[in-house]
Amino acid sequence: MSDEEHHFESSDAGASKTYPQQAGNIRKGGHIVIKGRPCKVVEVSTSKTGKHGHAKCHFVAIDIFTSKKLEDIVPSSHNCDVPHVNRVDYQLIDISEDGFVSLLTDNGSTKDDLKLPTDEVLLTQLKSGFEEGKDIVVSVMSAMGEEQMCALKEVSPK
Amino acid sequence: MFNGSAGGGAEDLPQLQSTMRAIELACSYIQINTNPAAAEATILSLHQSPQPYKACRFILENSQVASARFQAAAAIKEAAIREWSFLSTEDKGGLISFCLGYVIQHANSSDAYVFSKVSSVAAQLMKRGWLEFTPAEKEVFFYQINQAILGSRGLDVQFIGIHFLESLVSEFSPSTSSAMSLPREFHENCRKSLEQNYLKTFYSWAQDAALSVTNKIVESNSDVPEVKVCNAALRLMHQILNWEFRYSKGGTKGSINVFSDGMRSDTASSRKTECVIVQPGASWCDVLLSSSHVGWLINLYSSLRQKFAFEGYWLDCPVAVSARKLIVQLCSLAGEVFPSNNAQMREQHLLLLLSGVLPWIDPPDVISKEIEEGRSGSEMIDGCRALLSIATVTTAVDFDRLLRSIRPFGTLTLLSLLMGEVVKVLLANSNDKETWSYEARDILLDTWTTLLASMDGSGGNAWLPPEGMHAAASLFSLIAESELKLASASATTDEDDADCLASVSAMDERLGSYALIARAAVDATVPFLTKLFSDRVARLHQGRGTVDPTETLEEVYSLLLIIGHVLADEGEGETALVPDALQTHFVDVVEAGNHPVVLLSSSIVKFAEQCLDANMRSSIFSPRLMEAVIWFLARWSFTYLMLVEDCNLGSNQLQSLPSRACLFTFFNEHNQGKFVLDIIVRISLTSLMSYPGEKDLQELTCHQLLHALVRRRNICFHLLSLDSWRNLANAFANDKSLFLLNGVSQRSLAQTLVLSAYGMRSSDASNQYVKDLMAHMTSSLVDLANNSDLKNLAQQPDIIMLVSCVLERLRGAASATEPRTQRAIYEMGLSVMNPVLRLLEVYKHESAVIYLLLKFVVDWVDGQISYLEAHETAGVVNFCMSLLQIYSSHNIGKISLSLSSTLLNEAKTEKYKDLRALLQLLSHLCSKDMVDFSSDSIETQSTNISQVVFFGLHIITPLITLELLKYPKLCFDYFSLISHMLEVYPETLAQLNSDAFNHVLTTVDFGLHQQDVDIVTMCLRALKALASYHYKETKAGNTGLGSHASGQTDPNGVFHEGILSRFLLTLLQFLLFEDYSTDLVSTAADALFPLILCEPNLYQGLGNELIEKQGNPNFKTRLANALQVLTTSNQLSSSLDRLNYQRFRKNLNNFLIEVRGFLKTK
Repeated sequence: MSDEEHHFESSDAGASKTYPQQAGNIRKGGHIVIKGRPCKVVEVSTSKTGKHGHAKCHFVAIDIFTSKKLEDIVPSSHNCDVPHVNRVDYQLIDISEDGFVSLLTDNGSTKDDLKLPTDEVLLTQLKSGFEEGKDIVVSVMSAMGEEQMCALKEVSPK
Repeated sequence: MFNGSAGGGAEDLPQLQSTMRAIELACSYIQINTNPAAAEATILSLHQSPQPYKACRFILENSQVASARFQAAAAIKEAAIREWSFLSTEDKGGLISFCLGYVIQHANSSDAYVFSKVSSVAAQLMKRGWLEFTPAEKEVFFYQINQAILGSRGLDVQFIGIHFLESLVSEFSPSTSSAMSLPREFHENCRKSLEQNYLKTFYSWAQDAALSVTNKIVESNSDVPEVKVCNAALRLMHQILNWEFRYSKGGTKGSINVFSDGMRSDTASSRKTECVIVQPGASWCDVLLSSSHVGWLINLYSSLRQKFAFEGYWLDCPVAVSARKLIVQLCSLAGEVFPSNNAQMREQHLLLLLSGVLPWIDPPDVISKEIEEGRSGSEMIDGCRALLSIATVTTAVDFDRLLRSIRPFGTLTLLSLLMGEVVKVLLANSNDKETWSYEARDILLDTWTTLLASMDGSGGNAWLPPEGMHAAASLFSLIAESELKLASASATTDEDDADCLASVSAMDERLGSYALIARAAVDATVPFLTKLFSDRVARLHQGRGTVDPTETLEEVYSLLLIIGHVLADEGEGETALVPDALQTHFVDVVEAGNHPVVLLSSSIVKFAEQCLDANMRSSIFSPRLMEAVIWFLARWSFTYLMLVEDCNLGSNQLQSLPSRACLFTFFNEHNQGKFVLDIIVRISLTSLMSYPGEKDLQELTCHQLLHALVRRRNICFHLLSLDSWRNLANAFANDKSLFLLNGVSQRSLAQTLVLSAYGMRSSDASNQYVKDLMAHMTSSLVDLANNSDLKNLAQQPDIIMLVSCVLERLRGAASATEPRTQRAIYEMGLSVMNPVLRLLEVYKHESAVIYLLLKFVVDWVDGQISYLEAHETAGVVNFCMSLLQIYSSHNIGKISLSLSSTLLNEAKTEKYKDLRALLQLLSHLCSKDMVDFSSDSIETQSTNISQVVFFGLHIITPLITLELLKYPKLCFDYFSLISHMLEVYPETLAQLNSDAFNHVLTTVDFGLHQQDVDIVTMCLRALKALASYHYKETKAGNTGLGSHASGQTDPNGVFHEGILSRFLLTLLQFLLFEDYSTDLVSTAADALFPLILCEPNLYQGLGNELIEKQGNPNFKTRLANALQVLTTSNQLSSSLDRLNYQRFRKNLNNFLIEVRGFLKTK
């Protein structure tokens, strides 16, 4: 299959893209678009329409940006939209006073348009770690035109 | 708080009263829920205070508050059990006779729960002292009880006496006894003594008590107080007969043979209704049989029956229920209680009971009508239970004969009529599940199963008598038709799926029982099923396109299930034989084409074949029907398709039957076999390709049908020559639509196809087949990994899906590793090693893919490791280590920023699953040292597996947080690996650096404090290994664990004590002061012994400290003695051999019994 022509461009152009995928193939832990929102599936169950009808899938999913819960029912042979979720790691270089962070991209430029997380505990951890001079790597997740920090990690200097 | 008032010798009245008031107050606070914590603490301090007996007695005798008396009784029990070993003999006896006297004196007052408590306290204390009391001492107590039961002191006392015996028996019965932190041996001895010396006496006391009140009850027309005594006596008899008799055969345990003992241990497991066979042994004959006990009971119940109209009696009044229970129980009497030379006696006994039970169930139609009109169904259900009990102890023929002496028909006919009636009622109110008919149906079905299952496995020689066969046939047709009616009625209801799944296994069991009934009369039932099936199929064809087929579809669905059960057994991993009944009947059939089983099978295969046609598929073959078709074909083909004559032979004398030969050869390779096999493969491909998204159907096809085919080697040969199989393999490798199957099915399909390679004539050809099959998958992974834009490409959903599919398939292939195809699969894994590491890198945020990657590697290593040569092993080990390192570097210190608690939990679960997979990987690597098929000689320089695994542990233990160890499975895997490693390679552990070493031991310490006995056992075993290694090494002049054991001073000058001393302290603390299962004591002894030997000085010090802490000089000397005895008695010496371990175990057990009581007293 991989030898087919891949007519997908590089990631920034495809950031808003979604892909069709058979509903029966979307599993727990995968992604799905419900009501126009990119979600992560936390529960899939199947049932039939009437005793001798066709199978349908019932999805429970969590919006990956807002953490809201969404549900959907789709016949399992139909297609669903699956969001293209991209994650990129950046090195944290600065935390500004106004709640934004400054990140170092692969090609050496900086990215300054991301907000700090709102969670108090994480925030203090991030700040104190940063002030202690630890190397911190931030993962940024983007899908369907939105982006957000999704994880951070201390790297011990080698 | 009660120490002063209750502990010493000088109690005075005011103090006792103040204690009583405090307890009363606490009890009332608890009742009104005011400050319950403080109230509980007050009561607890009474329980835990030393020698609180005087205060408790005072409360019991004087308090007006019932719950305070209850608490006082509980406190007596707890304190006495704890302090038993140092109470004087008079005190012990005094407490028991106080409790007994108390209940007898207060017999007529209310507050039954206080009396139950006090009498159960008496029973427990009696058991605690059972082995130390002399027979004369026991006699004193039992004389008192016997007097009470004889009734000379009034009905209330009589009742209390019986009630006490009930508590006593339940205290001695293993399943209901309280542990009292004593070893099993103690309980076993008590049980033996009671069974041999007292049970029968108790039973006859109960008999006497019941007899003494019978006349009063029979003569009066209203509720009399005697009924209470009678009921208690009946209950006691029931309880005694429930005893699990063990020592009835000549008195020695050695003579017990579980297999000859039970009438039928084989069927017991499949039954839903509990039915214990009563086997008290020869000595009980006089009490139960020759004393007209049964006759008395039957008469008592029938006179009770006549009173149901009167006030105070009804069908479900306690005494009637107890009487019926006892009658049912006596029906299952068996074993040596019947003299072996007197078969008649047994028959007489059963006949007597049956005739007593008969009015409850006969005539069935009248009774069921009465119940439908509002009478209670419990008597009828008990009647069914009685039939089940009789069936458990007789053969079908004897069972049938029983009734003939009093009725013109046999018992089987009655059973058939009764069940027919129940099925009819059930059908009429099918939507209500809680009816009597539901329960009665299950019990009667169990009765049939019990009777028929023994015949089914007997080589086919046992047939039912003709009348019985007729009864079975007519019952089966009734059942089949009612099942079909139920099916068509349910066609339109949209049942909840979860509900449906739960009832599938129940249904399977039920159909299994129906099948037994059908097989009891195959001459009638198989043609009957053929007719039913062809009727329904004809109806489907006639109505095609015009009528809604749903109802008929549902009927065909359930018919397929029924027929599947009748024609074939579930293999459960073994070759399923053609059922005996189907082999031996139909003797006059000489031509295969006329054999009813062949006819039935062919008509179904023919029907199934029609699903290949697209039009038929859309109009008839719904996904649900296809599920039944696939299920049937899987079950049927496993039993009938291409039988290899000599492995499916039942018993030899059957071989000559021509009818049997027809049946066996018709579907073999020279006849229709290949043709049918081809149809089955084509149907499978259709169900995989033409039913997109039908997950259940696809799983069924892959797991049950295709998998069952390749499990049979001779079928593999034929499969590989079929075009249809080639099409399937082709579609698997190239067709896009098979990439749409769900993951589990992908894996299973890959496994199936790889397994079928066995059908190739040579090993080379098999390997080539696997290579061709998988080449496309491996190359697509390699191409992807080499793509320069991998980082961006990989995150696209369609690529993620492709990678997941390929990984599932590789995993499936890896799990199908067999010696014949091992090379091909090794090379398959080898070629994707680098891509796997690349993908691990790029998918580090995509946990679903990571898990698939890990599982593939785990399964691949598991399949390969034992075959690998030294250099290959080194390669694989290096690969695994890089994998662990990459995984760990991605996950250590990673913090998820998600706001959703669900997603955070998911992330935790994902991590747990990953780690479990990694632990499995390490365990598989470990196995190389145990099982190794490689050709290398032992001397060859090979990878040191133990070092590798410890290194692996070193990488992943930082990821295993104590939080994650709360997942039971992960915890189990982790500790089994750790204990294995410590037991087998303690020397490698010693070489670990101190961080890693300490981490391992911190988790062991954590494991010691788990609730799970298995985990604690594993940790104790690890400790034993560690300590004994160190002891043996140092004794031989080596360093052993070196600085880990001796303790060290860190750079800051703080001294850290050695780990062995730390664990010695922990273990002693655990053994003396914590609560644990007594099963752990032996394992703990094995760990403690080497620890003591390693650290004798510390042990001495700890012992002295313990002794110093005791305030009471009496306890001081006892503890000092006990500690002395622990390490010296039984000729314990300081070498670590088997004998010494055994001695120490015994010593520790005695030590704990001796001192734990007062050490735990606060």
